[in-house]
Order: sequence, then C-alpha cells, then structure tokens
Amino acid sequence: MAPNQHVLLSPAELAYLHEALSLTPPIRPDGRAPTQFRPLVAETEILPGTNGSARICFADGTEAIVGVKAEVERTRGYHGDDEEEGGEEKREQEREGQDEWVELTVEIPGYREDDASTAFLAAMLSEALLADGGFAKKLWINRRFHWKLFLDIILISPPLSYPLPLLSLTTHLALLSTRLPRLKSEGDEDPFFDDDWAAAPYLYPQGTATTRPPITLLVMAVGRNIIFDPTKEELAVADVVLAVSVGEAATDASSTKGKGKAPGRSLRLLSVRTVDPPSRVTPPGVPNATNSAYGIAASAQKQPEARTVEAQAVEGVWRAPRGGAKPAVMAALVQKVLERGGVADEVLDALDAVELG
Amino acid sequence: MASLKRSVGSDPLAANISSKVYVRSTKSGKVQKIVREVYLRQDIPCSSKLCQSCLKVTPRDAAGRQIPFVLSEAPAGTSVFPQGHYLVPDTNAFLSAMDLFEQSSAFYDVIVLQIVLEELRNRSLPLYNRLVGLTKSEDKRFYVFFNEFRLETHVAREEGESVNDRNDRAVRRAVAWYGEHLARTKAKKGPAVVMLTNDRDNLRKAKLEGIHACSLAEYVKQLKDGDRLLDMIPDTEDRDAIKEKRPNELLYPEYLTMSKMMTGVKSGLLHQGTFNVSPYNYLEGSIRVPAFPKSLIILGRENINRAVDGDLVVVEVLPRDQWKEPSTKVIEEQAITRNENPDAEGDDAVSERERKALQEEAKRTQSKTTEGHAQPTAKVVGVIKRNWRQYVGHIDQSSVIQSAQQGQKQDTVFIIPMDKKIPKIRLRTRQVAELLGKRILVTIDAWDRGSRHPVGHFIRSLGELETKAAETEALLLEYDVQYRPFPKTVLDCLPKEGHDWKVPESIDDPGWRGREDLRGLLICSIDPIGCQDIDDALHCRPLPNGNIEVGVHIADVSHFVKPNNAMDTEASVRGTTVYLVDKRIDMLPMLLGTDLCSLKPYVERYAFSVLWELTPDADIASMRFTKSVIKSREAFSYEQAQLRVDDISQQDELTSSIRALMALSKKLRQKRMDAGALSLSSPEVKIQMESETSDPIDVKTKEHLDTMSLVEEFMLLANISVARKIYEAFPQTAILRRHGAPPKTNFDELANQLRVKRGFELSIESSRALADSLDTCVDPNEPFFNTLIRVMATRCMMAAEYFCSGTQAYPEFRHYGLACEIYTHFTSPIRRYADLVAHRQLAAAIEYEAVGPGVRSRGRLEAVCKNINIRHRNAQMAGRASIAYYVGQALRGKTTEEDGFIMKIFSNGFVVLVPSFGIESLIRLRDLAEPEPEATFDAENYVLAMSGSKDLKVELFQKVRVKVMDRKDVTTGKRGVKMEFVKAY
Repeated sequence: MAPNQHVLLSPAELAYLHEALSLTPPIRPDGRAPTQFRPLVAETEILPGTNGSARICFADGTEAIVGVKAEVERTRGYHGDDEEEGGEEKREQEREGQDEWVELTVEIPGYREDDASTAFLAAMLSEALLADGGFAKKLWINRRFHWKLFLDIILISPPLSYPLPLLSLTTHLALLSTRLPRLKSEGDEDPFFDDDWAAAPYLYPQGTATTRPPITLLVMAVGRNIIFDPTKEELAVADVVLAVSVGEAATDASSTKGKGKAPGRSLRLLSVRTVDPPSRVTPPGVPNATNSAYGIAASAQKQPEARTVEAQAVEGVWRAPRGGAKPAVMAALVQKVLERGGVADEVLDALDAVELG
Repeated sequence: MASLKRSVGSDPLAANISSKVYVRSTKSGKVQKIVREVYLRQDIPCSSKLCQSCLKVTPRDAAGRQIPFVLSEAPAGTSVFPQGHYLVPDTNAFLSAMDLFEQSSAFYDVIVLQIVLEELRNRSLPLYNRLVGLTKSEDKRFYVFFNEFRLETHVAREEGESVNDRNDRAVRRAVAWYGEHLARTKAKKGPAVVMLTNDRDNLRKAKLEGIHACSLAEYVKQLKDGDRLLDMIPDTEDRDAIKEKRPNELLYPEYLTMSKMMTGVKSGLLHQGTFNVSPYNYLEGSIRVPAFPKSLIILGRENINRAVDGDLVVVEVLPRDQWKEPSTKVIEEQAITRNENPDAEGDDAVSERERKALQEEAKRTQSKTTEGHAQPTAKVVGVIKRNWRQYVGHIDQSSVIQSAQQGQKQDTVFIIPMDKKIPKIRLRTRQVAELLGKRILVTIDAWDRGSRHPVGHFIRSLGELETKAAETEALLLEYDVQYRPFPKTVLDCLPKEGHDWKVPESIDDPGWRGREDLRGLLICSIDPIGCQDIDDALHCRPLPNGNIEVGVHIADVSHFVKPNNAMDTEASVRGTTVYLVDKRIDMLPMLLGTDLCSLKPYVERYAFSVLWELTPDADIASMRFTKSVIKSREAFSYEQAQLRVDDISQQDELTSSIRALMALSKKLRQKRMDAGALSLSSPEVKIQMESETSDPIDVKTKEHLDTMSLVEEFMLLANISVARKIYEAFPQTAILRRHGAPPKTNFDELANQLRVKRGFELSIESSRALADSLDTCVDPNEPFFNTLIRVMATRCMMAAEYFCSGTQAYPEFRHYGLACEIYTHFTSPIRRYADLVAHRQLAAAIEYEAVGPGVRSRGRLEAVCKNINIRHRNAQMAGRASIAYYVGQALRGKTTEEDGFIMKIFSNGFVVLVPSFGIESLIRLRDLAEPEPEATFDAENYVLAMSGSKDLKVELFQKVRVKVMDRKDVTTGKRGVKMEFVKAY
C-alpha cells in the first residue's frame, strides 16, 4: 500500500477537497480540527506467548498487531575477558548497542515481503527506533551477551490508507508492554534469568520519566495548512506528506529546574522523511475553456491546449501538485509536532492512557 | 485523540480459563516465555470414599470404569482430631521429612496437592520419586489432587504476590475447599482436613482463615509413638539460629552462585568433577577433571568446604606454591575428633588437632626439594549437585553425655557412618539410650556455613550391631541394593502355570515358533556348587569333516521377560543379582531365575544357542545363532566335572565331550594370552558356613580349576561372537561392554615402586606389554609376590563399563583386559540385565522377533547402561563387604598367625594384605609400641624406619608375620579384623 494508491475521486472532487483544506482554518471532510486525531481502539498484551504485544484499530477500519519476541544471543566480536574488573561506572559506559540487535519485519496483506513500499515502511520504523542509539543499549545484557529483539508488525486489515502511523503507534504500545526476564547473574557470566515472569522488568520502565519508544506521525500540508492524521481522501490532495519521527528527550534535570517550563514532554525530532503523496499521480482536471469535449473548441488545437493546462492553474480545476515542500512549511510542520503540549504530546498522552497488561 | 478500552468481562468462558506464565531457560542458553493455558473443571473428584457427589461426576475411561476412590471413609484420628483426619502437607513438609510419610505406623490418608508435587519435583527429584512411589502404594492411601485444574481451588496469582505466597495460598484454598466439600457430603461429623506446614506465616494465615493447620512437630506429638517420630523431623529452629550468626562465626567460605560456577567452568577457570575422599585420610579429597592428567588434590576441611564424598562439585586450582604431594599419613576422623562435644558449635573449623596433623604434612613438603612430585591442589568453591543419600552408621559413644542417657529430652550426638569417607553427622534425638549400640539409618539434611559437621536426622534403626540381619541390611542399604520383595505387579507378569510350566509338547505351539529342536544333543552345565540359577550349558560333538561343533546354550530369559512390562522395569532398575555370602538378592523373581529359565538337568528348557564349527586348532569355521529347546543331561559342579575329566576310567560320551571342550578351551585361552589378555587378580576367598545355622566357620581361598577356565573361555567366545553380530545389526544401538586402557599416570606409582624396590620395569604401552612385564615380576622365593603385584595392578585399572555403541568410536570399544576389539555380556541373562538386552538385540538381529523400542532407542539404552554400570559396581562392592564381614565373624574369638605382605606404606603406619583371608588392614605405629615409636619415612625408597620404643625397619612388598584377630573398637562399637605385627621376615 504505497501512499499513492488509487483514489476514486474525480478531478473535480479533488479540486473541491483541496480548496476546502486550503482555507484558513481548513475544513476537513469529517469536520475535524487540523491537529485532531481520529479515535482509536488499543489494547496490549494480546499475544500471551510474546514478550510484548499490542493491537490498534483505527477508525477507518485499519487494524494492526505487533508482537515482540526476545532471544538471548552471544555478542560477536567479544574476545576473552579483559583482566580488570571495572567499576560500576565503567560498566555503564561499556553498555553499547548495535543496530542488528533489532530485527523488524512488516507484513501487509496482499504485498510481498520484499515489496519496495513494505521495505520502505520497515526502514522508516526501524530508523526511528534506532535513531537515538538508546534503544539498542537497553538490549545489552553483559559484554558477552545481548537480547535480540524481533518485532513482527502485521497489518491485519486490508491496506485502506497509508498504514505508517498505525504501525508506528502499535509498535510503540507493543514495546511499552515488552518485558524481558529478570537477570540474576552478575557481570560477564553466562546470563541466568529469574523464572518468574511476574518479576520480569519492562523494557521501558514504567512510572519513571525515562524515554519511551518513538512514534512516527504522518503529517501533510495543503497550502500553508498543516494537517495531522490525514484520511485517505485528504492524502489524495496533499501538497506535501512527511513522516516525522519523534522521541521523548531524556529529561535533563538541570534544565527543567532552571526555568518553570510549560507542562508536557520535551520532545526531540528523530527523523523526517518525505513521502511521495498520492496526489501526484491523480489525473488533472481540464478547464472548460480547453475541454475539447465541451463548449467551443471541440476538436481544434488539441496540442497547444494541453500545454496551457500544464502551464497555468485555473481556479476550481484540479491540478496535481508539483515540486517539493517549501522550507517555511517544513519548519512550521516540525515546529507544530515538537511543540510542548502539541500534537505529539497529545498522542503520547492518549497512548499513556492505554492500560498495560 | 482518545483511546477506547475493550471490556474484560465480555468473555463468558473467562472463568474457566486461566493461564500460567513462566520463563524457561533451556540448556542451549535460550530463554523462553512459556504460557500454559489452564482449563478449569469441576469433575476432579475429592476421592474420599465418604463423598457421593464426586462419585457421580467423576469421568470414566473408555471402558466405563472409574478410578476407585482412595481416601478412607474412616481415617485414623489423633488426640486433637478424634473424628479422624485427612492430611494436606505443603512442599516443605515433604522436603524436610519424607521419611515420616513412609512410616507404616502413621501418615495415612494424605492428600498430595498437584502444586506440592510439582514444586517437589523441581526441588528434589529423588524425593519426588519417593512420593510418587507412595501415591502408587495402595495401603498408604495417598491421593494426588489436581487442585490447579479444579475451578474452586484454582488460585490466580495476585499483583505483587510472590510465587511462594501464592502457592501457600493455593494450599490453604485447597484445604478450605476440602473442608467445605466434606462437610456438605455427610450430615455426621466428617474427618478434619489438616494442613501440615512448618512455615510460621502460613500457619498464622491458616488460623486467620479458620482452617486446621499444624506444624510437623505439633502434629507428630499428637500421634501415639510421637517421640520416636519426632526424631525424624529435622531441626529447623536449630538452623534458623545458625543463620542469625554473625559472619565472623561462619566456619566455611560461601559457595559461588550457580551462574558464576557455570561461566567459570565454561571458560576453564574452574573445574567440575565428582569429589572423592581418600579412604585413608578424611581430610584429603581428590577430584578428577578433564583439564589435568592427574587428579586434583583437595586438602583440609576449609578447602573441602562441606563437600561430601560423591558430590558433584566445582573447584578452583590453588596457586602453584600451595601444590602438595598426596599425603603419606593416615588421618582418621574418629581418632582425631574423638571426644568432641556435639553441642558446642562455632569453634574454628579446623581444630587444633587437625591443624597439627596437616602441619606435619606441610613441613614435610616444604623440606623437600623435589618439586616434581607436587600435585596441583584445589579448593571447592561450590556444589553443583549433592549426592547425599541415606547413610548407615551408629552413635559415637563418646559423644553421648552420660546423664542424658536416661531422660527423654533431646540430645545431640554424633553418628559415625559405616562408610569412612562420610564425615560424622550431627543428630538430635530423644532416644539416645535406645539407639546406642544399634545400626541406624540417618540422612544428611544440611551443612551450613556455621556448622562444623553436617546436620542430619534419624530414619530408622536396623537392629543391634553385629547381628546378621542388621549388618546384612546395612550392607544392602549402603550399596543401594533393592532388596524389597517383588511387588505384585511384577509377580503378575510370571507365567500362570508357575512351577508346572513346561516346554509345550506340540511342535506347533507358538512357543516353538522359530526354535530349533536341540533336545537330542548331549548338553551339560558346569557351575559352582549349589548353583540354582543356571544360565549356561555346553555341548560339543565331532563333525564328519574333522571339525568340531560347539554349542553354548543360554537360558532364554527374554522369552519370559517381555520388554516394558513391570517385571522388565523392575529388572532394569535392579540391574543385577547381588550375591552376598549367605544371601542372594535376585534380579528376577525366583520362579524364573531358579526354575523356568534355569537350564536344569533332565528337563526341557527354552534356550538361546550359539553354535560354532571350530577347527581342531580352535579357529572359527562358521557360527550361527538360534533360539532352541534343549534338554541338559547333567548339571555338574566345577569339582565334579574336574574329577570326571581326570578320571581316565570314565569313557562315556558326555565325559569325552567335556574333555574335547577342555582341549579346545586351552587353545582358545592361549590365543587370548598371545593377543595380550591380562590375567589379573584379586584376593578371593570363600566362606564355609555351618550348614544349619549358616554361621561362618572357616575361610578358604578359592581354588582355581581347569573346568572353570573351560566355561570361562566358551562364555568369552560366545560374548565376543554375539557382540560382533549385534554391532553389525545395530551399529548405533548395540549394547556392548568396554574396558578402557588405563591412563599411564595410574601406573606411575606402582611402576616407581617396582623399579625402586625390585628393579622390575613395568611397561604399560599396551595390554600385551603389561601382561608380559607382569609375568616377569616374579620373586623366586615368594610365589605370592606375583599375585600381589597383580592385585596392585588391578587396582590401577579402569572399571569396565556397558555402553551403547553409538556413543563411542569403534577403537574405543576395545576391552583392555580381555584384549579383544569388541565385547558384550550375553551369557548370564538371569542375573544381569545387560545380557537380557543383548538377548533381545540378538533375537532382533536374527529376525526372530521385531525390533523393539528398547533395542532401537539410543537414549533409553544409554540410561539403562548408566544404571547397570552403577548397580554392577555396587553389587560387587556389596559382595566384597559381605565377605569381609563374614571373615571377621569367622575369626571371632580366634587368633591366628598368618603371613602377609606390605602393600602400602605411610609415614605413621602401613597396610598389610593377608592372602589367606583376602583381607588387608592398617597397622599404625602407635599400635606397635607404647609410646609411639619415632619414625623416619623415606618416601623415595618406601622405607619406614622406627627407633625409640621399637627398633624396626619395614619396607614395601616386605613379607611379614601378623597376628590376625577380631576386635571390637571401644569407641566405635564396631567389630573388625585387627592385625598385630609379629615380626618381619
């Protein structure tokens, strides 16, 4: 389900929609505010055999499940034991993760596993996850062993719309609910774990203000308007579509104390990807003036007309957007996402409300 | 954005489904989360005969039968529960006092909760097996209640609740449910349901919830013979007190964590092996690890660190400057720690006396310049698996406080185990007076860091010391011989006709299928006098082409013992028949062993025959295997057969065939010797018993007759032939017997002794070279000298073992002692389980019967081999110990002078072997004269020179004259053979 899948809208409908979304404030077909998300149904730990799992169902009927499995693996490239037994501090420094400790697969019904769009989705999701390097670090057991995490992301509904946000949010929840068996051995011994699952700690410890898994949001711009959680129809007229990955910055104790900051999280941008909007492949509308099947010039001057259509926009006639995003729009878009108490914050709050377990 | 929640209560079946989640770590290092769904049901019966409602709902099997209910309708009462009671013990009750539950005087009608059974299995497999045994015995009325699967008794773990707390709650829930359930079933007052636990918190909670609960001690006090049973409860309070001790009072270093040990062993920093205590020095242990060619030595109490002989331990090698020679001094625990006060605890782990004994050692090693002799030493850093069992011993008289002997209060005494390698065990008992002078069975419960000796508890008394019954049982227990009568399930597997069973007359009978009729052959058997279980018989007849047909006929046990029935299982557990001087513990029920299978003369019997065509030079021209029916003409004893062969006037056909066999066997033997077979030796004696009282009256060394080697040679030939055949048919799963070549280091000591003392060279490159060099070790003046060397060489050998052919490479199959490439045991299926397996494999190999799973499955065969190897060794040791005991009994009250040889020499004593009695004993310097003579020990030359009160010089291999008598040790109450030195030749 590439984003540019076929949309069954006529050029006139596209033009109308584009018009409506370009207004200030924009008028969305379902009457939402530009930053408003559709409601979703979410639950976690739905797959008892996994280390963590989640299911999210979007209002448009798309649904995804994510399962996380962990396996102990020997860390390659570790030779013998160094003579000195470093202090606790040193040990902490030694903690380092490698990107290949996380394996992420995406499955979309009807698409091959090696389909370009599926691979692109997987790449975007794992990129966000690994961007800050903190995630792989969590998988460090000791200098000789680490956890290998397998994330299986499955869209179980037909791909009705671009599933990136759905998959990202589901992955986020699944990771939040992921627990790894409690380590009982010390130092560089062969790992030895507590057999009590109830004692297994969460990968992202709860209740503490530490980091959370990143989320990737789909944001689009129409003219100067920035619209979150676009529907399939809205995407069909987008000028720009961006996938923005946001993570929670580790709260810096000194900075929070220094200034009385606004409530909310301090977020940081992990990655931005432009997504080819489906609007680009929509068929253009033909102005009445040049429509050969309609009105005056029915048959004559076919060729020059076609060129004029390309050249100038006619009010009320759909024309596929051209060119990239304007820097100003990009800046505003990122700004909007990262705002304290902004959209990403709101999404995270909502996900917080999902009960784990 | 809003998130919606799915309501939990929507699933109507939620109440019947639960799940259990845990983490499993596999051997390969994988860590998995395991989820087990639990389907809760309401038709699991309470199994009380009082209950009518359960009877209706209990599921039936395919035949419409119900499992009969177990718990009695009128269970026994106690002083507190006169109306009768059912017991529900928790896991710890079983863990700490399994012996109590096996008592026949009490502990009936016990409900074993599934959760308790499972927890017990995780904590201790041997105890679990004992409990399963109890639940199977009908008279004890133990019922396993699957509380986890019954809706009413299933308990879900609560938030933040520990596993133990949850399990305790599950036990209480089950007790409460039983109470309610039984109250409903009958109007009259039903039995009380009593929880047994030693956990204080659990008891308190039970009280709060209003259910009956007792601690073990409280409960036992309510019983009639409570005082006796009370001794069988380990003292928990005692242990709690020790735990509270300050760390500086702890005597032993702490063990490493399991994961640390495993990592250390994997990386080669630590070593894992079985801990063995030296029989002469209780403060010295050794452990053989693959990384070192010689055993590692562990010296001193602190380094041994609570390891007991047989434990699987992990050791750390000590730095080189602490390497030592194995001690040359005899240190006996009883002598050094005598008069120790068992109540006093917390003094130094290494007492003054022990320290002194060890210091002398250290001085000696340091004064020596020859570093080459030092062996690596090690210390125990952890125990992987305890190999504690039940130990036979007796109370150390000197540890009993005089005044305490009358009262009924609990006293602490020391138990001296019969096995010298086991340390003294501290024991609390109320029945000191009663148990003094008795053989008793005890077990070790724990050995804490704060306690110098392990703590144990009393199980039962075997009877007076030195009574035949007690000593025999002690022997059997010590060597783990299964001596209980065969259970009914086993006896049910016997043929219904009993002793009247006969080979069917009609050849069309299914029993005759595939059998050859060999009744016409002149077959006879040759065995020791009085042998009832005759496994083998022989025949031979000349063939027209000048060759000779020889047949070995073995009892067809596999016809009667079908794979995987109760009898087969029992036999595989027993592994072998154990022969004691006055008793035989059979592997198979008497009916088979001494009648139906036994190849008795004059009757027809089923047999498994090996038939060869031998050339006059005893080369095999052809051979075949067949099931057959035979009729033995005569059962000879070795002596009878020998007389017959020697008597030239006997010219009948049978005698001449024995003579022909004899001639062939001599050729076979010569061939074996040429191939390098060893003739080894161990001092064997025979006890003569008075026929009526079976009291031992005399000891004789065994005589060797030619007829013995006749039988031996043909049995070897049969075994080798069968081994080839089954290996050919089942290259992966054939059951074979191998005898590994001994590591060269085993002979270092002996070779050195021979070189220094007599100038003989012992070459050990091959069994052939060894056999030859042993032949040269002859002292023209002393015929026994060669035998002595052979006895000592035998002790350097590895033990032969059964194995499954897939586990070793072909060159490893070699039998070192017999010098043959491949070998198995086939000829004694009545008394050895391995032979029975070989029979089944051979039957499958000749396509007489289908290949069964027992023949095919390598895993199962490996388990069988492992067990029979242990059983075999134990049976041998039990037999030897039995002979030693009877030698002592035969000598009772007599004193004789005998010749002996010095076979081991220490700095404060020497060991003398007396061939005529087959016994060896230690003579200490302090026994030679008062005061103990000064002695200088020349370890290089094996000479001990004494001066002072006694002027004497003894050396290794020296012939000496000793006075042999029996003596009862005053402190230990143990009678043993004692030697007194008379003179040196």
